[in-house]
Amino acid sequence: MNILPLKAMFMLAWRNLWRNHRRTTIMLAAITVGVWAMIFMTALMRGMVDDMLLNGIRSLPGEVQIHHPAYRDDPSINNSIAAPDEELLKALQIPQVTAWTSRVRVPAVISSERDTRGVVLLGIEPDSEVQVSFDADTIYEGRFLEDSSDRGLVIGAKMADHLETDLGKRVVVMSQDPDNNIADRGFRIVGIYKAKLASLEETYIYAGRDTVQKLLKLGDNVSEIAITSEDYRNVDNWYPRIKQAAGEGVETLPWYEVDTYLGSMLAMMDGFVLVWIIIVFLALSFGLVNTLVMAVFERVREIGLMQALGMRPSTILYQILMESLLLLLIGLLLGNILAVGTVIPLQAGIDISIVAEGMEMMGTSSMLYPALKLNDMIMANVIVIVLGLLTSILPAWRAASYDPIEALNKT
Amino acid sequence: MRYFLTALITCLISPIALSADIDPRDLIQQAMDHWRGTSSYSEMTMTIHRPDWQRSMSMRSWTRGEKTSLVRVTEPKKDAGNGTLLDDNNMWTFAPKVNRIIKVPSSMMSQSWMGSDFTNKDISKSTDIIDQYDHKLLETREQDGHTAYVIESIPHEEAAVVWGKEVLTIRDDNILLEQQFWDQDGVLVKTMKALEIKQLGGRSVASIIRMGKVDTPDEWTEMSVQDIKFDVSHPDSLFTLSNLRNPRQ
Repeated sequence: MNILPLKAMFMLAWRNLWRNHRRTTIMLAAITVGVWAMIFMTALMRGMVDDMLLNGIRSLPGEVQIHHPAYRDDPSINNSIAAPDEELLKALQIPQVTAWTSRVRVPAVISSERDTRGVVLLGIEPDSEVQVSFDADTIYEGRFLEDSSDRGLVIGAKMADHLETDLGKRVVVMSQDPDNNIADRGFRIVGIYKAKLASLEETYIYAGRDTVQKLLKLGDNVSEIAITSEDYRNVDNWYPRIKQAAGEGVETLPWYEVDTYLGSMLAMMDGFVLVWIIIVFLALSFGLVNTLVMAVFERVREIGLMQALGMRPSTILYQILMESLLLLLIGLLLGNILAVGTVIPLQAGIDISIVAEGMEMMGTSSMLYPALKLNDMIMANVIVIVLGLLTSILPAWRAASYDPIEALNKT
Repeated sequence: MRYFLTALITCLISPIALSADIDPRDLIQQAMDHWRGTSSYSEMTMTIHRPDWQRSMSMRSWTRGEKTSLVRVTEPKKDAGNGTLLDDNNMWTFAPKVNRIIKVPSSMMSQSWMGSDFTNKDISKSTDIIDQYDHKLLETREQDGHTAYVIESIPHEEAAVVWGKEVLTIRDDNILLEQQFWDQDGVLVKTMKALEIKQLGGRSVASIIRMGKVDTPDEWTEMSVQDIKFDVSHPDSLFTLSNLRNPRQ
């Protein structure tokens, strides 16, 4: 085997690249922009989906939830479960669980002097609830509930508008107790919150859990137990443990089964990123192939000479592939630097409030936080290199299969 | 029905002697006590008025005690048979068109009763006004040869009442002349007023009562009583779901 030493091949490829530096520069620019678009757009999409998922999980809320088996079909007061027993409490101590809370969650009606609205009444334990779902910073008037026997009510700003009521006023909350009797009670509004999504403000009202249990004659029962961890992507590692402790009588589900839409959203996103990268690459590959084909055509005589001097076709193939690899590597390097350089300054969030209403329908908020994921970057780079080399096999193959005599005679 | 009936019956009750030292709570209590234990049968017309239309319904109503009553629409034909039964804080409605008895759930309590300006809650909540409010006598005034007491009732902190206060004007013969509903900012929202008082069933009764929102003066509902009988004995079978569905009287 008489293959040129790698070093010589590298030198040849490198010099060949810069023999026509204008063409190489244009090609480099194309690869750079392509790689940048892949990584940057993926980061944007990831950011959007992450935001949607987190919003979704926070409003579900809880990454793992324990319910009465019939609760999800019929979220009525009758489908309640007992407060966590000792075994479950012990299971909830595992390190993956960062917080958990139990709540009463029933459909209810809230009315003021002027209007009446259907809502979801959440009887919560404020201390643990803020760790799981409620963001106490969103209280913009008044205060959040102080403890689970707090007698006040916290409603959304939109709801306060609809009811034409305000902080410090009384409203009536009506629901049904397990015997189907009307349970109603006056509440004074102690806090008004503003959620990222206006639809949440219209849906959820918060009261102390003990107060709600008393109102609904529930005893110690709750509607759901919500558990949260550090990373919602990794619930599978620990939720079976909780499920086992919770027992057979209740339904323990991770978030992607509670809200299958969110679950499939995440799966779809992974596929979508791949498709996106490949589409950008396809556009890119035409440029790449074209550049290499041109480079080969220009050098037909040269290649013929090299063959006549004894260079093997396979070496010529490697030679061309080496050129293309160099081109791709430089392009990728520049593209990655550019992408990281544009994403990092934007990580504080991009204000897209101009189109906020439309985004809200999708369940995302008006700030877009690009999420740069190492996996996505690696995937983009690997795809570009592998497919890039594959597409350059064609011109390389043509170059390698020239007949030396014909090639030398080509003018 | 009950709340309205309470008010209605309060208006209907015959005079009782009132001492000079008046406790406003007693005033309301006495009026209600007087009505409790009594039974009645009445025929009335409900007129719903809106800026561009108006319609009337004739209905018959039976009451027994404080917690039980039945109302059935007789005219016009398309509404005939619609009924409401109240029994111990529960409320059912029946519509012959769908042939269904519906238990009125909490979510519907704030909705209008038969399309009128009365809400289901107005109709069903009764003695709440005695127990769940603090009462204060505001003034005593002479009116049409009677003494009228103006009572301010403020709901307790956790009472299931949206109003900031209610102001009741009760005549010394226990006719409720006016009931005002104020919001928590001190704005008058709606009033129920006795427009006509006459002798019916051997007693002085408010025969026309109008309920209307202050914001929309040309939208109101009027109840006018044509005939009323007191102390009628009703069979137990009257106040049952099966009787709501299949009238037997």
